[in-house]
Amino acid sequence: MSSTLVLGMGNPILSDDGVGLYVAERLRAGPMPDGVEVRQSEVAGLRLLELVRGYDKVVIVDALCSGREPGDIVKYEASEFKGGHRYGSAHSIGLHTALELGRRLGIPMPEDVTVFAVEAEDVETFGEEFSPPVAAAAEKVIDLVRAEVGAG
Amino acid sequence: MKKITVDPITRLEGHGKIEIFVNDAGEVANVYFQVPELRGFERFCVGRPVEELARITPRICGVCPEAHHVAATKAIDAVFGVEPAPAGRRLRELLYNAFYVTDHTTHFYILAGPDFIMGPESDPAARNILGVIHKVGLETGGAVINLRAEAAELISMIGGKQIHPVCGLPGGVSTAVTAEQQERMVQITAAQVEFAKFSLQLFDDVVLKNNDYVDLIKSDAFTHETYYMGMVDENNKVNFYDGKVRVTGPNGAELVKFEGKDYLQHLAEHVEPYSYLVYPYLKAVGWKGFVDGKDSGVYRASPLSRLNASDGMATPLAHAAYESFYATLGGKPVHATLATHWARLVELLYAAERAHELAADPDLTNPDVRTIPTGIVGEGVGVVEAPRGTLYHHYKTDDKGIVTNVNLIVGTTNNNAAISMSLKKAAEGLIKGGTEISEGTLNMIEMAFRAYDPCFGCATHTLPGDMPLQVVVKSESTREVISSAKRNM
Repeated sequence: MSSTLVLGMGNPILSDDGVGLYVAERLRAGPMPDGVEVRQSEVAGLRLLELVRGYDKVVIVDALCSGREPGDIVKYEASEFKGGHRYGSAHSIGLHTALELGRRLGIPMPEDVTVFAVEAEDVETFGEEFSPPVAAAAEKVIDLVRAEVGAG
Repeated sequence: MKKITVDPITRLEGHGKIEIFVNDAGEVANVYFQVPELRGFERFCVGRPVEELARITPRICGVCPEAHHVAATKAIDAVFGVEPAPAGRRLRELLYNAFYVTDHTTHFYILAGPDFIMGPESDPAARNILGVIHKVGLETGGAVINLRAEAAELISMIGGKQIHPVCGLPGGVSTAVTAEQQERMVQITAAQVEFAKFSLQLFDDVVLKNNDYVDLIKSDAFTHETYYMGMVDENNKVNFYDGKVRVTGPNGAELVKFEGKDYLQHLAEHVEPYSYLVYPYLKAVGWKGFVDGKDSGVYRASPLSRLNASDGMATPLAHAAYESFYATLGGKPVHATLATHWARLVELLYAAERAHELAADPDLTNPDVRTIPTGIVGEGVGVVEAPRGTLYHHYKTDDKGIVTNVNLIVGTTNNNAAISMSLKKAAEGLIKGGTEISEGTLNMIEMAFRAYDPCFGCATHTLPGDMPLQVVVKSESTREVISSAKRNM
């Protein structure tokens, strides 16, 4: 049976950066179809590779700082990750690199990777509250992810 | 004057920005190194029960949560005036050394590896982890991933979770381990020792047998004669978990050895208007600016510093590696910044051997893992050696243990002045008037920086992310962009 991982990422104590974790928590509280698992991760990079190994499909939810309007929701497919393999830091290699590294090492990596990113307003203040546009976007992303994994 | 901006630096934790000012003759006039600030960390902590800080501080950043967890737990012991139960202390130290194995391995293969295994001026498209595994073999790449997975398994047996441990409580840890778990830990740590030996051999084959690399390591552009800080045990051997903080001078002699709780008597902070990140220095020597030598209070805290500040390693194989390190590099202390990568591998072997010793301890499964505190002191300092330097957590509370004040000095902050100096010196050595500034040149300037494995995640209490690189050469008089290079933007 195919397996799907919904992975909420971010930092729970850095304002809008916690949005992915919050979405995962909400999704986990509701019903999910068989074969769909929901997890949270506060770290990226190689640890990401370790988290996604073995799944057929992965749906990532995270905050984004790209200069869009706060609360904007952007959907990416893995094939759109055109970034190079060099950027990122020692312990935080990019998603693209992590997936490619896993494949080259013969580790089963998901074929289908989708990212829902929410443009953040503030990821520089310690706090557990979201800005109003991000709080509103979180509700929409919950529905989008449910639709993506067939949870209605 | 022209200005070169390296913003932000690739392959380091967090977000930093380097600005290189070049005068009209094309020579380096000055280098500024800046980091952004995050707001409200202390405010976030104040008013919470102090024991929560062992779970909050690791969330500042995802790079070394274990270091913050252990330092916080030690600070909380002190706040409650309780000595940890020996069995609990042992489990903390085991967890911590297993974390070191992961962190140092990742640094060497992912961050330093591309420069040394591929070459500092190799094609940037191949100068990355994928290039490294292509060159050293898929088996090694698989071994790195496997080692990380096994270390995470060990950490979760003690820490309760793989990523953010939750085991540390005032007076010890929350749960004991079973005999079955111990057996697995012995297995895992034995494999870690073998992997560390392999990594040192790889360094020997790839780096030390290449004269160009050895010359680069020893070159003046990558050398600074500074003070060195590191935690040592009662025999002045390196210890990551506990001991006294020892500082040795540029000539190798001990300047001071102090209890972590007395750090404010020995360290002061210099502030520059262009940086949010402070520059700690040794009070006994004083701040003389961004200069090295015995009269400057600038110190370094890194794997190289820990080796320089100690009399050796407490485990046999690592001590042999320590001896060979100094024999090859011309005796103690070693001032070559790039030798930090080798020092990190010596520490990797120590961490693996120490973890193996602790895992095999016949008393490891002792169920008395915690001494329940009975009083409160209201103030405490916890110090560990984090991979990137000595980490100080200092908490004050009211008589109910509610946080009133938090101060952290994190690994990278210790090195802030030295990093600025290393960048400037490397830039001066590599950028000469009239020469084209290539991508390889800029990468080599960054190498001075990466040796410290700077991590601005918690230095400014910010987070790691993907970092593009922009290099801008500007005229200082007109502020016009003369030339610029971008990658990954």
